[in-house]
Amino acid sequence: MELFFMTLTTGIMVGGIYALVALGWVLIYKCSGVLNLAMGELTLIGAYVSLSFYSMGVPFLLALLISLVIGFILGILTERIFLDRLIGEPVLTVIMVTVGLSFFFKGIVELIWSTDTKVFDPPVFSIEPVRLGPIIVGQIYLWSFLAAIVLLIVFVCFFKYTRWGLAMQATADDEMAALSIGISARFVYAAAWAIAFMAAGVGGTLLGNINGLNISVGYLGLLVLPAVVLGGLNSVPGAIVGGIAIGIMQNFCGAYLDQYFPGGVKEIAPFAFMAVFLLFKPHGLWGWERIERV
Amino acid sequence: MSTTFLPCGVYHENYKQDHAWWQTKFIKSKMFLLFITLFFIIPWLSDSYSLSICNQIGYTILGALGVQLLIGFCGQVTLGHAAFLAVGAYVSTLLTLEFPWPAVFVDLGLAYPLSILIAAITAGLWCVIFGLPSARVKGFYLILTSMAAQFITVDFIITQYISQIGGRGQAFSLPLGTIKVGPWVIDSDIKIYYMMIVLTIICVVGVVNLLRSRVGRAWVAIRDNDISAEVMGIDIIKYKLLAFFVAGFIGGIAGAVWISNLAAISPEHFPWFWSLWLVGVILIGGVGSIHGTIFGSIFMVIVMEALQMAVIPLADSYPKLLIDFLFIKEAAFGLAICVFLIFEPNGLAYRWWQAKNYFNLWPFSY
Repeated sequence: MELFFMTLTTGIMVGGIYALVALGWVLIYKCSGVLNLAMGELTLIGAYVSLSFYSMGVPFLLALLISLVIGFILGILTERIFLDRLIGEPVLTVIMVTVGLSFFFKGIVELIWSTDTKVFDPPVFSIEPVRLGPIIVGQIYLWSFLAAIVLLIVFVCFFKYTRWGLAMQATADDEMAALSIGISARFVYAAAWAIAFMAAGVGGTLLGNINGLNISVGYLGLLVLPAVVLGGLNSVPGAIVGGIAIGIMQNFCGAYLDQYFPGGVKEIAPFAFMAVFLLFKPHGLWGWERIERV
Repeated sequence: MSTTFLPCGVYHENYKQDHAWWQTKFIKSKMFLLFITLFFIIPWLSDSYSLSICNQIGYTILGALGVQLLIGFCGQVTLGHAAFLAVGAYVSTLLTLEFPWPAVFVDLGLAYPLSILIAAITAGLWCVIFGLPSARVKGFYLILTSMAAQFITVDFIITQYISQIGGRGQAFSLPLGTIKVGPWVIDSDIKIYYMMIVLTIICVVGVVNLLRSRVGRAWVAIRDNDISAEVMGIDIIKYKLLAFFVAGFIGGIAGAVWISNLAAISPEHFPWFWSLWLVGVILIGGVGSIHGTIFGSIFMVIVMEALQMAVIPLADSYPKLLIDFLFIKEAAFGLAICVFLIFEPNGLAYRWWQAKNYFNLWPFSY
């Protein structure tokens, strides 16, 4: 029973990070209709940038902030250079451009930082575990979860109360109407990419703190896809619930199924689950069901 | 892409001429030249290195053909085709190495050709399993299912279970001389080349003919609009699954043939990168065109080899470049996809079509 609760807590906490990255994904999809397969590489870039600054001796929070700024700039550049030209192109074209981007980014990251595992040195969070009643949790998980929650709240407030956030919500809701009241759609697209880059960067930094940072963190970024499918592609609460659910499921599979199917059950389970889930509920829990007409 | 115009002054008088593969004497002689080039001139002129590049091109064409069929002609986007190549390669390897063939089969050299056939059928059926969701979902969701196919097949089943057969844990080694087709032992690039070229031609001709038939028209109808296709009376689930089967079948052939070129086979030969590479090849070549598959394969393989050639002289001054070449290749591939999709969305095949029409219609191009 103790194992059960421990797995559950760890799952929720890792899931918080996935939720953060998934939020960035959903944001891009809602605002600009781009189905982004480069999310894993966005997490890599943010994580490596903050790690580089941290190993140079910059305090962790400042390093995170710098990686946010760089993520913001890179997001706007990416949108302007590549995706701005593709508005109105077929879906496959746009998806494949993001695939191309993912290779491009990955190649660049590997060129600059090589493929060895790097750790945050000295460790940002102390390795002393924390006791929450009977449950023992690593401090890293706790802090990552808290950071993810804080950022999620910040993002939600941004959408609810600021002018830019409202503009983005309006565009996501109805692009034509938003254009007619003077919102610049191009600005909104760029902002969506910038925010996605920033969210992914924070997510990547936190994930890198847990297990060390190498290219496979980019694979964890791919896990947002099962998460958003579970929640529904265009639902922000869905992304959060989906991210946490995927985190929990992954950890349960690791804890309970690994003895029956040795090897990579933990990595494969979300995708296998997703393939089956799509058969029964292709629009996710809260996604919009499009009615097609000929 | 629409049809190619015939040269000025060529008219058909009956349906047989209209349906012919090669419609004029000029095209016939062109094809004859191509045949001569493929079977005699290239093997005669090239050394072992350029033949190995040709083999890579052949492998890429075979692999990309299935992807082209699914994406370009049936509209079912797949990002996990390397899984089916892997299934083909592994089934063929296991059958050749482990299966207790009767001595007659081995002596006559039938074991490997038979294993190719069985591998292709297995890969086709495996592909159908992952094509089943296409009955319910499409577009982006189908892409996710095909990604799941890649991760489940290669990263889980093959890495964790299939590789354990025989107790070696990692790779199956294929000693030189294991692979025998008829009386020939496939042990040199030139023999692989001939095997590759024959199979590639069979597959390309087969697919092109299939596309000219009722089945092919049904696929194109599904690609253009699946709801209208259903309204017209096409059984879309049947035809979609058939497309998945044929694509997996060709992928299986590609994988099974490729093992003749490898000393050992391991899951690292079929990474997710390879699935995306195949899609990239058809995007650069041109979606919805068999020519495009071939041009894209030739273009990508040669460009990557040229890139490697360019890196080697630089390596004297920057030795790190040689180690990092894989990453440069990845980045260049990604950039190439983006640039082609943004600036040349119809691919190389479109330019070929333009050039051909220009010369066919010259000097009266109106």
